[in-house]
Amino acid sequence: MEILFSFALWFGLYAIVALSLNLEYGFAGIPNFGKALAVLVGAISVGGIMNRILAYFYGISEDNVISLSSSVRGIVNDAILSDPVLGIVIFLSSITLASLLGAVAGVIFILPSVKLKQDYLAITLLAISEVVFLVTNYSTEIVGGYYGVSVPDVFTFSGNYRNTFFILVILLFAFLVYFFVERISNSPFGRVLKAMRENEDVLKASGKNIIVLRIKAAAIGSAIASIAGALFSLYSLNVIASSFTRVEWTFYPFLMVLLGGAGNNKGVLAGVAVFVFAKIFLTMFKFEITALLNLPFEAIWFEYMLFGILMFLVLYYKPEGIFKEKPIFTKPIKKVVYKISGAKNN
Amino acid sequence: MILEGALVYSNLLAMLCIGLTLTYITTSVPNFAQGSFAVFGSYMSLTFLRLFSVHPYQSIPVVFFLGGVLGILVYLLILKPLIKKGASVVILMITTLALDLILLGFIGAYSEFLRNITGKPSAKFIFTPHDFTFNGLSGVLFVSTFLITAILIFLSILLYKTKFGIALRASMEKPFLAEVMGIDVEKMRIFSWFLSGSFAALSGCLLPFRQEIVPATGSIIIVSIFAASIVGGIYSLAGAVVGAYLIGFSETLLTFHLSNLFGVSVLLYSRVISLVILSLTLLLAPRGLTEVKFRWKFFSALRSGSDYTR
Repeated sequence: MEILFSFALWFGLYAIVALSLNLEYGFAGIPNFGKALAVLVGAISVGGIMNRILAYFYGISEDNVISLSSSVRGIVNDAILSDPVLGIVIFLSSITLASLLGAVAGVIFILPSVKLKQDYLAITLLAISEVVFLVTNYSTEIVGGYYGVSVPDVFTFSGNYRNTFFILVILLFAFLVYFFVERISNSPFGRVLKAMRENEDVLKASGKNIIVLRIKAAAIGSAIASIAGALFSLYSLNVIASSFTRVEWTFYPFLMVLLGGAGNNKGVLAGVAVFVFAKIFLTMFKFEITALLNLPFEAIWFEYMLFGILMFLVLYYKPEGIFKEKPIFTKPIKKVVYKISGAKNN
Repeated sequence: MILEGALVYSNLLAMLCIGLTLTYITTSVPNFAQGSFAVFGSYMSLTFLRLFSVHPYQSIPVVFFLGGVLGILVYLLILKPLIKKGASVVILMITTLALDLILLGFIGAYSEFLRNITGKPSAKFIFTPHDFTFNGLSGVLFVSTFLITAILIFLSILLYKTKFGIALRASMEKPFLAEVMGIDVEKMRIFSWFLSGSFAALSGCLLPFRQEIVPATGSIIIVSIFAASIVGGIYSLAGAVVGAYLIGFSETLLTFHLSNLFGVSVLLYSRVISLVILSLTLLLAPRGLTEVKFRWKFFSALRSGSDYTR
């Protein structure tokens, strides 16, 4: 049962991040090597900003954000217990705040390299994300650095069913994101993004502005990924900067997208499921694996090597992923296809 | 004292940037694992120190060679098969990101393995106690300055005075034409990966004299490496050197002066300076400093006449 819970939790969170990455990389062709940044922004908006807003409302003041957050948690939890609506309001406003800030961060962080080639883009996005991560991790003023901050339990009223309820909410968000991304990618905007991935020059020639398209894609993608960061923080009841590493929130989402099939949202969900299953399996049996293979080191290093090698194998043997990208059938195209197939049959 | 640290850091950064640029020009993939290449070198020299009590300075030739072997292996086993399949730049970049993770896993595992056989903690280490001093200056200052000078002299002789160097430059600038002229471009690529790996390992051998090394150090220094290479101009070897000194000195000196103004806590944020310089460069002169038309004869002589159309 516990395994099922943790599978559902991580599937939901990673599905949101991987789908947002699929929009940016799979559709728009932006190699966002700084995906972790958007997730971190979501966590900051909960742990760093929402906490301060709540403290302001309740008139709490402390010397530092760490003790501030624990006082906020105490008072706000009591208030939510007596008034569940408050918890839902805080939850929804945290998510809104996270997605807004995520969108803003997405725009700001793509600006320096928005005009440049893909390799410059990738390098710059990685560098920005890495530096923000380091600063958040060292500085104790933003979200408490490596000490971390506490977060109020917005669903504390659901008592013993709190975790189940929360995981269902996360899955609901994952479904909404899937629905949203699927709609976007089947819209004219989604087709323009695909066209940009395939050939920027042709798109420029037909009068589209590549810079604006890239900024839009980054803004939407970051806004979505931010939601995952906020949900993760609200669920785990704390924000510790060191849990938003490049490996966990940039590399693994890339692995899921490529494993499932870049440009195919259903494929990405399959990729997420396979990855999360493998990761939970590795975490659960880490002692058995270490003992069985007689590894003279901790399982985490083994996990890194394994997923790194898996990425290489995917890229080499199955670069299109489990599910291949499918063409989008719009009404006019369907007509043409119908005509051709009809002509063949006759 | 602070200048000394800045110079050592810049020297080491220059070695890493030269390697990154070499492989970028010949294989057109930015190597995200360059930082881990260096950390590999650090752990190799730690191994020689712990197991055979060989001083890190004495292990330099072996570590240099091992780094080169790592570079060749990475190219032949990982990148070349993908290039042959016609993988795009983005796919190759993701591959080097995966490689970085594999190396991180390997180095982390190796550090624990080393701890188990030597009985000494090996996850974190520093070589400063093993360094010598001369006239009050640290030994690593002399060693690193000597080595980077040697590398620069070696490269300029190799690239501009030998037939092999001409072939190498030709395959960097126009691989198709070079191939038509009968140059084995593949051999040149392997050679550039050898040099890249070995320069990185060399830098990693000296890095523990300046800062503490952990398995994840590579992912922290990669920001400075990329910043320096792009600021100087990622298509140009001279640019790599110029960028390395610019980033190295500004990271060290600017943070030092800022810490005098705002307090010691600023010292942690030296990478922010790299990032600001990198962003400014990308906005103002995305081709890097050496590609800016300064109308200086000195600079135009340095420019290696690279080609952007690729």
